Amino acid sequence: MASAMDVHEPQRLSVTVNKPIPLTFDLGHLAAFDSNPLPPTTPSTLESTLQSTARDAAQLLINQILTTVPLHSTQDGVFATLPEPITDLPREKPVPKPKEPTKWEQFAKKKGIAAKAKDGKMVYDEATGEWVPKWGYKGANKGGEDDWLVEVDEKKQADVNDNPRNLSRAERVERIRKNEKQQKKNERNAALGAASSSKAGYKNRRR
Amino acid sequence: MYIHVNQRLDRPEINARRRAPLRHALAADPSLGIKNFSTHSFNLDDPASPTISTPAPTPPTMLQTIKPKNARSKRALEAREPKLVENQKTTLFLRGTSTSGIVQDALGDLHSLKKPHAVKFQKKNAVHPFEDASALEFFSRKNDASLMVFASHSKKRPHNLTFVRFFDYQVFDMVELLLDGETFRKMTDFKNAKAGVGLKPLLSFSGTIFDTNPTYNHLKLLLLDFFHGHTVTEVDVEALQYTIAISAGDATDEDPQPKIHLRAYMLKTHRSGHKLPRVELEEMGPRMDFRLGRRQEPNSEALKLAMARAKSQEMRSKKNISIDSMGDKVGRIHVGHQDLGQLQTRKMKGLRKRGRDDDDGREDVEMDDDDDDDDVEMGESVGDVPAVSPKRPRV
Repeated sequence: MASAMDVHEPQRLSVTVNKPIPLTFDLGHLAAFDSNPLPPTTPSTLESTLQSTARDAAQLLINQILTTVPLHSTQDGVFATLPEPITDLPREKPVPKPKEPTKWEQFAKKKGIAAKAKDGKMVYDEATGEWVPKWGYKGANKGGEDDWLVEVDEKKQADVNDNPRNLSRAERVERIRKNEKQQKKNERNAALGAASSSKAGYKNRRR
Repeated sequence: MYIHVNQRLDRPEINARRRAPLRHALAADPSLGIKNFSTHSFNLDDPASPTISTPAPTPPTMLQTIKPKNARSKRALEAREPKLVENQKTTLFLRGTSTSGIVQDALGDLHSLKKPHAVKFQKKNAVHPFEDASALEFFSRKNDASLMVFASHSKKRPHNLTFVRFFDYQVFDMVELLLDGETFRKMTDFKNAKAGVGLKPLLSFSGTIFDTNPTYNHLKLLLLDFFHGHTVTEVDVEALQYTIAISAGDATDEDPQPKIHLRAYMLKTHRSGHKLPRVELEEMGPRMDFRLGRRQEPNSEALKLAMARAKSQEMRSKKNISIDSMGDKVGRIHVGHQDLGQLQTRKMKGLRKRGRDDDDGREDVEMDDDDDDDDVEMGESVGDVPAVSPKRPRV
């Protein structure tokens, strides 16, 4: 190789390499592709040929990195910002699928209902003039649960023996249970949907 | 049964040894039903030893709906989930029932090049990848490894290294490389300093045949995938320490499939008098010459899925969390400026604000203490300037 001849000159060592076909680089993978045929070798010259070919490729790759790529030096050293890889390599797992919409999300989309903006946990209580949590300890959704006087609502009271004091709380607990049921149903449907969509896919192929 | 396996693996790629008791524990529990895969090796002398012909358990659909019971198993499951930007591929190194010393040395050297994202099995495995790869798929799933090198040795295929890639824990493609035992030199045969662990190598592929021959092109892409490490945005120039050169001669009539030469060299840079350094190489090993063996190409359907790119490959990074150069997770916690004016000090009766506050001079002294840019002495200002609260914006 042309570069090997300049080694004897100590002051100015050659850093250029001449190749009939220029090398192509994939700096994202730090790879050089040399399409030139390997020089003819005998078993005795094989190692030196391979080494000089590898040296040329490494020299060109280093030159490429130091000249074409933005470098910035920090306390820890000089860093080269690598470009995106050119050579596409296969993924190890499929691209993640977007989350299946819940039944409510489907309905809201159909009806054109926009999602409510999340406006925090606290809500202003007009009556007391204080900010209280929407739910949880001293939550706003527990209004009327510990009132000293409760009106008997005959419509709500299915059983005459029910304590009218507990009805408000029972109603809230029932809402929570219903919501949990809906959540579970959505999860199940999402899992079923994912399974059915991948049934024809690679994962379930017959081996 | 997978639920148990997955929930108990915390960091599968890190500590292979720690998992061993788990494997035995699972074996002892027949209800888990995976006793055939209790250890990754099979004793040939033991007639009761299970054979590998048992098909690998197909992933149950329940796998998608399992709920981790604690934070650790949740993290472990999340680490294995398909991601937009993927983890670095883990490589699994394992051997068949009969291996030569040469091929074992080669396996060990490849392992040391791939550390730390590599797992090496120590025991024998009665597996024939081209006949039935289901056991390998099982190992891939269990170790979350998508690259594998399987070493074997037989009369027909001496010193055989099978490079396997997986997609979604299924065999993606396989290439058999038959190592030349005469020319093989292991890393320790070269008495010099080796590259640091886990550094990205410079790769070079030399030879026309890698472009012209589809088999060699396939091999080129496979080896690129195998050696390139992780795709990073930045690399320390000092860390460019070694190069892996893969080269092959031209195909001729008497040698239609020329040998593939794999060499690893340390880079030595010298001042050249130019702006760029002069690069010299010093061989660090391993030195491997391969002949191509059998090959299995990727299934077209799998290829399509594996090459699919999401519309936006950019994932929104988590705010204030970054990974530093050592690979440590660094969080920036911003607590804001503490307002010492609001600090609750010891409550004393004498300092309590009175309802009828006629001597506002004392109040102002207290408030203006933290107001640095106020160059007027307090004692003088009290008389002529009305008290100004430091909270109010000044014009």
